[in-house]
Amino acid sequence: MALLDFQTALGRLVRVADHADPLRRLRLAPAERSFLEALPDSAGFRFTVAVQRSWCVGRAAGAATLTISVLPSDLRQRLLDRWTRAGGGTSSFVAAEADALLDFIAGELPNPSHLLAACRFEQAALRASAGANSFVPPEWVGRGAPQFALRRGSYAGAVGFHSDPHVVLSALIERTELPPLSPDVTTFLFAPGLDRLWQPASAHEVALWTRLTGAVAVQALLREGYARETIDALLQVGAIEYARPCPAP
Amino acid sequence: MAACRRLGNIVEPLGVGFPYIADLPADLYESGLVDFVEIAPETICRQRAIGKAVAIEIVPDQLARARRTCAALPIVVHGVELSIGSAHGWNAAYLEMLDDFQALWPFVWHSEHLGFQTISAEDGATLEVGVPLPLPATKEAVELVARRSAAIGERYGVPFLLENPAYYIADMPADPEIGDDIGLLAAIAERSGCYQLLDLHNVYCNALNFGVDPFVVIDRVPLKRVVEIHVAGGSSRDGFWMDGHNDRVPERVWEMLEYTLPRAPNVGGVVFELLDDFALSLGAAAIAEELRRVRTVWNRYRR
Repeated sequence: MALLDFQTALGRLVRVADHADPLRRLRLAPAERSFLEALPDSAGFRFTVAVQRSWCVGRAAGAATLTISVLPSDLRQRLLDRWTRAGGGTSSFVAAEADALLDFIAGELPNPSHLLAACRFEQAALRASAGANSFVPPEWVGRGAPQFALRRGSYAGAVGFHSDPHVVLSALIERTELPPLSPDVTTFLFAPGLDRLWQPASAHEVALWTRLTGAVAVQALLREGYARETIDALLQVGAIEYARPCPAP
Repeated sequence: MAACRRLGNIVEPLGVGFPYIADLPADLYESGLVDFVEIAPETICRQRAIGKAVAIEIVPDQLARARRTCAALPIVVHGVELSIGSAHGWNAAYLEMLDDFQALWPFVWHSEHLGFQTISAEDGATLEVGVPLPLPATKEAVELVARRSAAIGERYGVPFLLENPAYYIADMPADPEIGDDIGLLAAIAERSGCYQLLDLHNVYCNALNFGVDPFVVIDRVPLKRVVEIHVAGGSSRDGFWMDGHNDRVPERVWEMLEYTLPRAPNVGGVVFELLDDFALSLGAAAIAEELRRVRTVWNRYRR
């Protein structure tokens, strides 16, 4: 028996992400192939798969506690089922998976919607939190040469709410009536250097964040009318960052 | 292959152990009910991608909290993420983290689960299966895990233990010389010089699910190599008894502990295993009762 091939086959059978023939391109002796082909019909294997699904759902739910808890139960079940069937929830390190899970859920929610705002809120909070321990403000704030490029911070986010965010989140958590979607958007900025990891974003900050869908040179931003003070303030807290390390002054 | 360690006085006996559960009040660990703490280092770590590689990093705040909770109690490490039986490769990032962990917080011994939980994708990436799976009882599996176990023993300089797993798939392929999971673990221990963590609840699970006598299984375990014993609770689902670590210890498992402890002269500690998710629902009073009962049995044979 080739242990590597046997394990690959067994692992593929338990993971449902592999829809193709799980025994493809493996060196298996006839007896091993027979054992593996018969396995899906055995009660013990089916129970192993059930345990795996249950653990994966539990991990996923624990990775995105807020969003999972505020989703309607039928939608929650459907999304978790699709996520785990696609191979999600297998890692014990839930934080590493939370971002991808929340991206997946966000892609399934109406835009705009209060649920989507809550989902992005949790994702931004987790990202900022992940960066907070190691965040150091760049030395070049206020002195950066204008040819250097800026981009959105790796651990930052901006989340728009179509009503008062506190009212929206409270209503979702307490399962009370949600306020109507307003055309006016209140944006929260998340960044690893902010005291509480978030703050309400000013119109200037929202405009700069919106502009930075990719890397843009400081001089271009200044030319377009973005204020140096806004740039420096966002750099200071990690909401935006230099797109590449700056050379020493 | 490293020579077998000398049997006898493998470790100074520690007594009654309990897992580190961050959500439990620290009082439990200061109550005198617990002599040592079993910690899964992954629970105070985070995983971070570095390009295509992955690093497992100790979170300083969580380490500090764990150390405050455990105070002066000795610790043992019970790893989850190594996947020691994965033929495509084990989790090197886990061992790198454990190097750092040992430098910061030395442990008396170190244990791992015998099994595998990762496979290789067709592009060579590592895929998590999402649940630990049993190894076939083959010579190749013995060779692989024995080599790795010996290397771990050398690397950390403390006894390395492998835990017998609970599993639900019957009639796994096996070489006749090895036989089954008990033969597999015994052969690895013999070849590598590593020791055993005998999880009595896992023996109980497998015995119930496959219709065998757990005491016959215990009699086949090389008990001189057993350094740690686990007792735990589980639950029934879909006709299987699950290794859930979610309840009190079944009476039959207490009987198994009474049977095993006097026959296993090198046991350094007995741990009442409980998962974080169920610790709060089980409650402090029930946990204390289980720990007192472990101590009663321990004192009967070890005092």
